[in-house]
Amino acid sequence: MATTTLEPRAAGYRRAWVLDWLTTVDHKKIGILYIVNSFLFFFAAGILALVVRSELAVPGMQFLDEQTYNQAFTMHGTIMLFLFIIPVLSGFGNYIVPLQLGAPDMAFPRINALSFWLLPLGGLLIFSGYLFGGAAAEGWTSYAPLSNRAEGVGTDLWIIGLALVGTASILGAVNFITTIFKMRAPGMTLFRMPIFVWTILVTATLILLATPVLTAGLIALFIDRNYGGSFFDPSVGGNPILWQHIFWFFGHPEVYIVILPGMGVVSEVLPVFSRKPLFGYKAFVFATIAIGLLSFSVWAHHMFTTGGALFLPFFSFMTALIGIPTGVKMFNWLGTLYRGKLVFSTAMLFALGFISMFLIGGISGVMLASPPIDFHVQDTYFVVAHLHYVFFGGSVFAVFAATYYWFPKMFGRKLNEPLGKIHFWIHFIGFNLAFFPMHELGLLGMPRRIADYADRPDWVILNFMSTVGAFMIAVSVIPFLINVIATFINGEPAGDDPWEANTLEWATTSPPPPYNFDRLPPIHSERPLFFLTHGHGHAAERPGDLEEGSEEDAEHRKGVV
Amino acid sequence: MTAGTMQAHPAGEEEARAAITHGQSGMPTVMVGMLLFIASEVMFFGGLFATYFNARATTVGEWGPPAGGHLDIALAGVLTAILVASSFTMQFGVWAIRRGDAGKLKMWTGITLALGVLFLAGQLYDYSELGFGIGDGVFGTVFYTLTGFHGAHVFGGTVGLTIVLARALRGQFSARNHVAVEAVSMYWHFVDVVWIGVFSTIYLLG
Amino acid sequence: MAPRSRLRAIVRIGAPLLLIGLLSGCLIPPDPKTEAAKDVFNLYLLVLALAAIVFIGVEGFLLYAVFRYRRKPGDDVLPEQLHGNNTVEVIWTLIPTVIVFTLFGFSMITLGEVNAKADNPTTIQVDGFQWQWTFRYDDGPSITGTAVDPPVLAVPVGEPVRLVLNSLDVNHSFYVPQFLIKRDLIPVGENGTPNELEFTVSEEGTYSGQCAEFCGAFHDDMTFSVEAMSRDAFDQFIASGGAPPEPAEGECSTTIQLAAVESIRFDTDSIEVPAGEDFCVELTNNDTVPHDFGVVETQYTGEIVQPGESLTYVVPAMEAGDYTFLCTLHPTAMVGDLTVTE
Repeated sequence: MATTTLEPRAAGYRRAWVLDWLTTVDHKKIGILYIVNSFLFFFAAGILALVVRSELAVPGMQFLDEQTYNQAFTMHGTIMLFLFIIPVLSGFGNYIVPLQLGAPDMAFPRINALSFWLLPLGGLLIFSGYLFGGAAAEGWTSYAPLSNRAEGVGTDLWIIGLALVGTASILGAVNFITTIFKMRAPGMTLFRMPIFVWTILVTATLILLATPVLTAGLIALFIDRNYGGSFFDPSVGGNPILWQHIFWFFGHPEVYIVILPGMGVVSEVLPVFSRKPLFGYKAFVFATIAIGLLSFSVWAHHMFTTGGALFLPFFSFMTALIGIPTGVKMFNWLGTLYRGKLVFSTAMLFALGFISMFLIGGISGVMLASPPIDFHVQDTYFVVAHLHYVFFGGSVFAVFAATYYWFPKMFGRKLNEPLGKIHFWIHFIGFNLAFFPMHELGLLGMPRRIADYADRPDWVILNFMSTVGAFMIAVSVIPFLINVIATFINGEPAGDDPWEANTLEWATTSPPPPYNFDRLPPIHSERPLFFLTHGHGHAAERPGDLEEGSEEDAEHRKGVV
Repeated sequence: MTAGTMQAHPAGEEEARAAITHGQSGMPTVMVGMLLFIASEVMFFGGLFATYFNARATTVGEWGPPAGGHLDIALAGVLTAILVASSFTMQFGVWAIRRGDAGKLKMWTGITLALGVLFLAGQLYDYSELGFGIGDGVFGTVFYTLTGFHGAHVFGGTVGLTIVLARALRGQFSARNHVAVEAVSMYWHFVDVVWIGVFSTIYLLG
Repeated sequence: MAPRSRLRAIVRIGAPLLLIGLLSGCLIPPDPKTEAAKDVFNLYLLVLALAAIVFIGVEGFLLYAVFRYRRKPGDDVLPEQLHGNNTVEVIWTLIPTVIVFTLFGFSMITLGEVNAKADNPTTIQVDGFQWQWTFRYDDGPSITGTAVDPPVLAVPVGEPVRLVLNSLDVNHSFYVPQFLIKRDLIPVGENGTPNELEFTVSEEGTYSGQCAEFCGAFHDDMTFSVEAMSRDAFDQFIASGGAPPEPAEGECSTTIQLAAVESIRFDTDSIEVPAGEDFCVELTNNDTVPHDFGVVETQYTGEIVQPGESLTYVVPAMEAGDYTFLCTLHPTAMVGDLTVTE
């Protein structure tokens, strides 16, 4: 850097620092970039949610006109899903997976950087519709032929942005899977991988196989809109239902892309703060794989009301089946708590919050699998409640659990616990206040995506409650932000292993050095660090551990994966 | 950031480099990555084929080019032969470098690249002669989308081949070190297989 | 001992039941008003009861664990390192299996009832378009609503009714909450078959409904109501309608040609007419959805023109000034300046 030497020292350092972050291929820095970028989009999409909830607080149009409202909920959904939840979990995956595997970096560090930088580009393209006569306003599902006919460049920017974000996910998925298969430390067999890594592996596989189909659909939509194509427009021979098939073929695996890493986070946090191993590790792994497989055979349950009832019982049945592995996971979490010694750190609170809230989302999901019930509540606020209990009560709670859990590893300092608990409780109460009433609203028949609603006392009360809850969630972010800033200024030093954890990321310094490990502990189980700190007492309780391990080692050496 | 992250760890770095370049036993890391990428491409073309079959199934009446247009099956057959042949020439190149014969690799890669470019030129000529466009009904839309995106992938392959050729000319490949050749050849075979699918679907199935 | 344990048993069984009761009290759909809706309602209650049992079981254990197993300060002894138990895994794989199979079985039975087809239903054509409905009766009236005057779908009570659900543009969904059902209106092109929806309303009354599939800017304006009436009243209703709108009376020295064109638009955004005398507007509808003509300031509105038809409106004389004309079905997409000059 010849030029920087001419600058004053501090400025030169700052410039080098910025350049370092912009050009980094270190998985840890990229992970942090992912997380920071995702939280910025989270706040933007959160503001849009407040805009939507403000408009819906009472009947009548107060702040917005209809089209602005439609843009707000479309952008809210798109940004939250594609630029917050998926990338933030990828970010934690980026940071944590190589560490948990005892690897020095991801398999393809440069591609890793590329897949990150496509994200802000795609996100800004999606948002930039606001600068060119209005953002996309067809909902995050962008059903044809509404999306064919929608005017303005906003929808085209939405398509291009989403295709970029999808490409980023695909590249990221290739990287994750390759890393997991090729970069594991000696002794780290597949069945000794932390559950978080397993969930990332299944998630990446879903991304790899589902996202390209969405890309194909987006391209078809773009051709329809700009080159006179007739994929989806019935007036020129197209088939609008085809869009729904393509979208949901991607869209339902997408739900598990969003939730599985969250389950992984919870499965890391619960054992550590229960001071016990995860109950039924292998059952949990198989349940995760089962969910991944089933997720490709349920997409049409989003389309029960479209009439073509031919395969409806099949899709209903497959959807109900997903309840089984999910139930197994739920029981395994409870089994982990059973006779443990629970420590209620903020991370643990968010993990417990995940279990109790995701349960509700899971139950309402099974209810929606029943076609006659779906006929009533499909496209009403019941579905909005359901998806928020899964995405928000599930994934977002897990994101915060992960943040409180891994922050010390990333920055060497622990987040403040009292502030964290304030954050959790306001968040938890606000969340339920915002979304539980929506179940009832949906059952009463309020459709989703309406800018204005009938002036009925029951609807008004429930909507008002929901709006208050939404603002409570927004308020809960304040102690979180204060916490992060205060911790950077004057946080409690964390040490290598502040939680007495199980997995390899805690076996190195906080933050870890470039290439992560100076030396690795021996890996004989899915809890190498626990093994290291508690030694043979642990091994004696699980006598099969070593023999089983050596067998798998032999298999591993042969390259069987 | 604390000072810890700023420190260099020479020993760790060396090991890291080794791990990144060589991975563990079994298939090279780059090949795993390429295979996974191809898996995603299979799903992408799966989506496009799904639109084709859906359009064909839901269209009432004659399925085929709109009035005034036609398909040139003879030309498409020649193009198929060219692309299939290029898969063989590519493989001859791979076999050559596995034996350490860098000279043959250059020759076969050059021939493959030429065949790839010939295919693209032939397809563009075909487009100019068909007499219908992407906006001419459902058939036009799915026809141009499928063949067009396949063509884009052939183009991507020729870029990869150009890089391989350039590196081969600089003598960068040997019997031990030629993973890029293997990866590009795998991609090229994939593109070839997709074309066989496209050709059979559009021209043979009708 | 005996009374106390009985009390405990009562509490043990009663408390969950009470909770179920409380929970169900606030998660109940509206009173079902069709025959099939009653079956759906009962299915829902069954599912809700199952859901409540799962919910209380899991959340109950969670709460129990949180209080029972919290780590005491200073307790550094590790708990037993329990890795799992295959028997329990099998059992708790079976529990959700039984639940979902039960749910699936009952759902399929109810689905059969919901989808049952009658022999000779009263058939009504329902056209959905951005952003209103038209209800068309064979040999009867055709009713198109507006945002301020939502359409009413008259149906005979106690008889099977079949709706043929046509979309003129994008996807819509016909939804009446008290019927516990909705079905989408999908544009199917020339050769497709539109969706149908059958129901038998069990009680006379007016039931509100609205479009449930997001269909663009004014999706929320697509409200309607269903009026279930006796057969006699229904026959009377059919007989009363059906006549085409009366051609407009009156003489105009000025006739403005106005056309509605594709994708919800007038062909011009300004028209000029003389002050102080009636004028005519001949509206030709070349769009795929119905339109009409109105003047904002004088609140003049006329009949609705169906696609492919045209109609002449006789607009009462207005004073000179600047006005706004519109299509009252599409009040923001289709507006223009009406200049009245001396």
